[in-house]
Amino acid sequence: MNIFVCLKQVPDTETKIKLNGDNSGIDTAGIKWIVSPYDELAVEEALRLREKNPGSTVTVMSAGPVRVVEAIRTALAMGADNGVHVEVPETADTFLTAKALAAAIKKEGNLDILFTGKEAIDDGASQVSQLIAEHLGLPCVTVVLNAEYGAGSVKVKREIEGGAFESIELPMPCLIAAQKGLNEPRYASLPNIMKAKKKEVKSVKLADLGVAETEQKIRFKNFQLPPPKQAGKKIPGDPATQAKELARLLHEEAKVV
Amino acid sequence: MTWQTFAFLLVAAAAFGFAGYRFRTLIRTMRAHQGKLRPANRPTEEIGKRINAVLANVLGQKAVFQKRSIGIAHAMIFWGFLIITVGTLEQFGSTLYQGFTWEWLLGPLYSPFLVLHDVFTLLVLVGVLHAAYRRYIVRPAYLGQSKDADMVLVFTASLMISIFLMHGFMIAGGDTAHARALPISNWIGALITLTGINPEASAVLGTVFKWIHMLLVMGFGVYIPGSKHLHVLAAGPNTFLKNVHREKAMTSIDFTNESITQYGAAKVSDLSWKDALDYASCTECGRCQEVCPAHNTQKPLSPKNLILDLKDNLYRNQAAVLAGKFDEVTPLIDQNVTDDVIWACTSCRACEVACPVFIEHTDKIYEARRNLVMMESRFPAEVQTVFKNMETNASPWAFAASDRANWAEGLGVQTAAENSDFDVLLWVGCAGSFDDRNKKVIKAFVSLLKKAGVRFAILGNEEQCTGDPARRIGNEYLYQTLAQANVETLNRYQVKRVVTACPHCFNTIKNEYKDLGGAYEVFHHSQFLAQLITEGKLKPTKAVDETVTFHDSCYLGRWNGIYDQPRSILQSLPSARLVEMKSHHEQSMCCGAGGGRMWMEEKIGKSINIARTEQALETKAGIIASSCPFCMTMMSDGVKTKDLQDKVRVVDLAELLDQAPPCFRPSGLSKISTAYLSIFERALHVSDCNPTYSRGKSYLYPGITLARVLNPLRYPRARAGANNVYLERISYALSPPLPLFCFRVLVVCGRIYPLPRSMQPSQP
Amino acid sequence: MAKVFIIAEHRDGKLKKSTFELLSASAAAGNETHAVILGDSVAEAAKELGAYGASKVHTIQDPALKFYTSESYVAALAPFLKAQSPDVVLAAHSPTGRDFMPRLAVRLDTGLASDCTSLTFAGNGITVKRPVYAGKAMVEVEFLGAGPKMATVRPNSLGAPKMDAAKTAEIVSASASLGNLKTKVTDIAKSNSGRPDVTEAPIVVSGGRSLKSAENFKIIEELADSIGAAVGASRAAVDAGYRPHRDQVGQTGKVVSPALYIACGISGAIQHLAGMRSSKVIVAINNDAEAPIFQVADYGIVGDLFQVVPLLKQELVKLKEH
Repeated sequence: MNIFVCLKQVPDTETKIKLNGDNSGIDTAGIKWIVSPYDELAVEEALRLREKNPGSTVTVMSAGPVRVVEAIRTALAMGADNGVHVEVPETADTFLTAKALAAAIKKEGNLDILFTGKEAIDDGASQVSQLIAEHLGLPCVTVVLNAEYGAGSVKVKREIEGGAFESIELPMPCLIAAQKGLNEPRYASLPNIMKAKKKEVKSVKLADLGVAETEQKIRFKNFQLPPPKQAGKKIPGDPATQAKELARLLHEEAKVV
Repeated sequence: MTWQTFAFLLVAAAAFGFAGYRFRTLIRTMRAHQGKLRPANRPTEEIGKRINAVLANVLGQKAVFQKRSIGIAHAMIFWGFLIITVGTLEQFGSTLYQGFTWEWLLGPLYSPFLVLHDVFTLLVLVGVLHAAYRRYIVRPAYLGQSKDADMVLVFTASLMISIFLMHGFMIAGGDTAHARALPISNWIGALITLTGINPEASAVLGTVFKWIHMLLVMGFGVYIPGSKHLHVLAAGPNTFLKNVHREKAMTSIDFTNESITQYGAAKVSDLSWKDALDYASCTECGRCQEVCPAHNTQKPLSPKNLILDLKDNLYRNQAAVLAGKFDEVTPLIDQNVTDDVIWACTSCRACEVACPVFIEHTDKIYEARRNLVMMESRFPAEVQTVFKNMETNASPWAFAASDRANWAEGLGVQTAAENSDFDVLLWVGCAGSFDDRNKKVIKAFVSLLKKAGVRFAILGNEEQCTGDPARRIGNEYLYQTLAQANVETLNRYQVKRVVTACPHCFNTIKNEYKDLGGAYEVFHHSQFLAQLITEGKLKPTKAVDETVTFHDSCYLGRWNGIYDQPRSILQSLPSARLVEMKSHHEQSMCCGAGGGRMWMEEKIGKSINIARTEQALETKAGIIASSCPFCMTMMSDGVKTKDLQDKVRVVDLAELLDQAPPCFRPSGLSKISTAYLSIFERALHVSDCNPTYSRGKSYLYPGITLARVLNPLRYPRARAGANNVYLERISYALSPPLPLFCFRVLVVCGRIYPLPRSMQPSQP
Repeated sequence: MAKVFIIAEHRDGKLKKSTFELLSASAAAGNETHAVILGDSVAEAAKELGAYGASKVHTIQDPALKFYTSESYVAALAPFLKAQSPDVVLAAHSPTGRDFMPRLAVRLDTGLASDCTSLTFAGNGITVKRPVYAGKAMVEVEFLGAGPKMATVRPNSLGAPKMDAAKTAEIVSASASLGNLKTKVTDIAKSNSGRPDVTEAPIVVSGGRSLKSAENFKIIEELADSIGAAVGASRAAVDAGYRPHRDQVGQTGKVVSPALYIACGISGAIQHLAGMRSSKVIVAINNDAEAPIFQVADYGIVGDLFQVVPLLKQELVKLKEH
């Protein structure tokens, strides 16, 4: 089987976000980069599928500036066979990214199954998986909690609202976007980390793929930091008053219920 | 050559030949081990200390005496055997060459030697009886049952009995030349004569028992290599090779050496020959198991079984090991030594301290963990979060590295980068940086440092986790990444002295950073504070009117031998009454957080922290003093689980010193009043909490009697709450032996506080 | 004034509140507001949409649309919307909306802004803002192409929908040729408790040891169920056997970052904080005013959780009914 994984390198969840000078983006200096956690699930699922189907290969791709090679190496250390770095600028949107990745996958050859994470934790767009599927004409299920692989088809369980699940069957080739719960990603063993350091990561430029930088559809601008988190409010009064006021604040101020 | 000589030569050749073959195989098996000898065990280093260790612990039986009665029994047997073996050699000699006797060599000392020989034969027998009594009547759980042990006891007893019968029959047979030097045998000889056996027959029987004795000796010799009794030969060398320091550093792996492709121990043969010598030294006494916090809370780990299981594993694989076919050796982790066994260890080292033959149990666990983690990525799932946090944010907890110094905001603490002119670097540690409870400890310590005028700095956001959790869990690679970065930072600021409130950071920086080029003078805050008090730079003035019990941190105590300074701080607090828990000092019980267990779920058995908290609660102390952030967390959780957080507080030494709670005892009393009050308090406390403490302290009796009389007054039927305060105040005011006006004044001024919580009776 | 198409979301004919929010907001801005509703039998549901501001409701009915799949939705919507040439296409940023909208965007050759929390109509376009980096920054999304502007909007972010029962919409039915569909929904099942899993739930209500027993967790469950939340627990509560380990939130349990985290009777030990600190809004209910949980809480109530939690549930139920 030809198994592909697309992953994104994102700032670690604990990173303090600072803006760059002109508010056109964030200041990337000093950021600790990690593989987006949902994408790690995708890598793990790919590796497990490969283990069940000897002779398969897992190819990991990531689009972004040069730093993302490090994320690809993380996946190689977990056990992926090949790595491909698709060079796109830092500011690339989901559409350009997806188009480039889709083109790169096509270039790599036949695909049986493609794994991604349900979203990247930086922009949280949950777009690229579906966009790649659309470009490659693949059936695609996102937010997948469980997958069973049959001959030429996959049965998946997808999470929808309110603690409900959909069971879906789809033929291969297809795209599966992972949700937490699909598996527990492995920790790379030291020999694999050492090996991954030496593996070659192929680099592909947009021009090689016939994709133009101008194929962006959206652009983020006017970055703003949210107002600094206020010190917590302690709500006074008797329990009835407290409960009422809390419900009001959650609804009107925090807008979470 | 007589037929006896001929027969002896034949039997001896067979016995010694066979025993020799068995020993040779053992030694070859040990030497075939692939693992390197750990630096702490190198025989060529610190030979003086090694010889001392052997003299004290082998000849002097020091470690064996840790357990009193069986220690004495063992010493009698051991010393007895030293003497009796000399006697046995004489019997061998006289069989080979008729008339051989040590008298040729010893001259006039021969008679005293015989007296000793005779007396010790009896003492060994007594020792064996005691051992048998313990093994078959007392039956402590940690001893277990063993056919091998039965055999050894039978052998030993038979050897002694055969000596007595040999000497007895010889004397009865007329060989009375040395009868006076053998008082017990002489008495047995007299008994034999009384039975009416004729002297010729006795003389023959004497020779028969001599033969029986010699055959038993040779039989034992053949038996020993396959028995736990092998310790008689292995324990000596094992003691010589022991880690002669209290401190223990885990062994570094050289990751730059690309020829190393295997980390840790996947198989028994990956361990070192010293580890195999450990198994050979083990006498299955079970002292390690008795003190193991994991075993005592129903975890599958028993340090004793670990050693025995590894030994079994080695013997099962002996053929492959000897043949050098290491790929045929079965894995170290098997149905006996399971993953749960390996992960249950808190690295508290209670087993190592208890072991009379200096087996290093934990090293085997570290090696197994290293293999599981680095080679197989096999570990409890929750550990992955710890590794990831340490990799991305240099802290085992998920907090941003850039928030590390937030605790210090507004405290005027300078970083080394801001001011390089400091005497000592305060290493805050992750708990002190991120955990709300432990931030308070660090703040208290900072306040004390400032009071004492110490010039100190912190690394601020440049500090990273020392790597200790990763190292204990087995991720040496991650440890070295963090440690290397820290050493570079410390060296960049030319740090000479480091002080930290975390025993884990303390141990790592002090004992383990050396390997990476970081040599500093490192203090635990308890040492540092005790020193400041001694120098008079800190004066404990705030009284702590409570009973305090100190919980020893393993990494401070057993790992670094620091027991006294924390206690001296507590004793320096006016009014504080220090009581010890059931297990303390070297025998102290772990809180359950060491060895990376802080970040693992405890799914099997009772929680270790609860077991330890129960020990603390037994003392009825109102304060559990801690010297370690992990102990703090574990003990606080334990107290909360018991729902006693309103009655018992877990407090760090620094907090006690800095922020002592309001004190019952008012200031400004006359000396006589103070002295009286002190005795009175003490008596109250003793009668309430610790009656046994008063034994032999007659000066307390009047106070205790008084306290008992006053008890109904002090604790009227009122429930806990505000009323109690007044009732207590009144009862104190009414206490007749104190000058009434003094109490009146105090009550009016509000200087008398309710009784400390620990002194209040528990509510029905 | 823009021509706005809003893709209505429903399950088994029951419309989602988020759809009403979008309709209301669009209509309030004076747009030509169209609703599109897909399914196998949606005639009844379609009638409700007018009251919330849709001037025209397009129904696309097909047996194959009985269950949602991104494939069938996109196959039905793409040709339809192309023919309608809308200025703006909106859907909720729900598991459904976020799933099909990207694919639809490719078919319409245009851009999509996901998870918008602010939406302003201006002329025949929109200005949207959305959080990035888990809310640690906000950005404005600029649409670069000439195609319709598409956005998915986070539920609850546009204010309460306004209903006018007197208003009705023209209902027209559109045809769809779905072609050969590859994905097939075989089953829809509720989890045993009917509650979401704690890991990814948008709201989590957690209890600590102060609940004193497994039975007392009932008040936590009731509060959770009233707002569709998952139930979590502190390690102490799990150790005490009040909840199973899979509910444990913290360093050694589940690490969560929901939009709302309500901690009841949890003191906030580092072990717990490490698992929920990144939640967007944190509520703490605890009787110990000194508990560290209040350091991270946005809203705190110092009080007896056995009193406060049931009252809070009542208040939240009232809110929902309004």
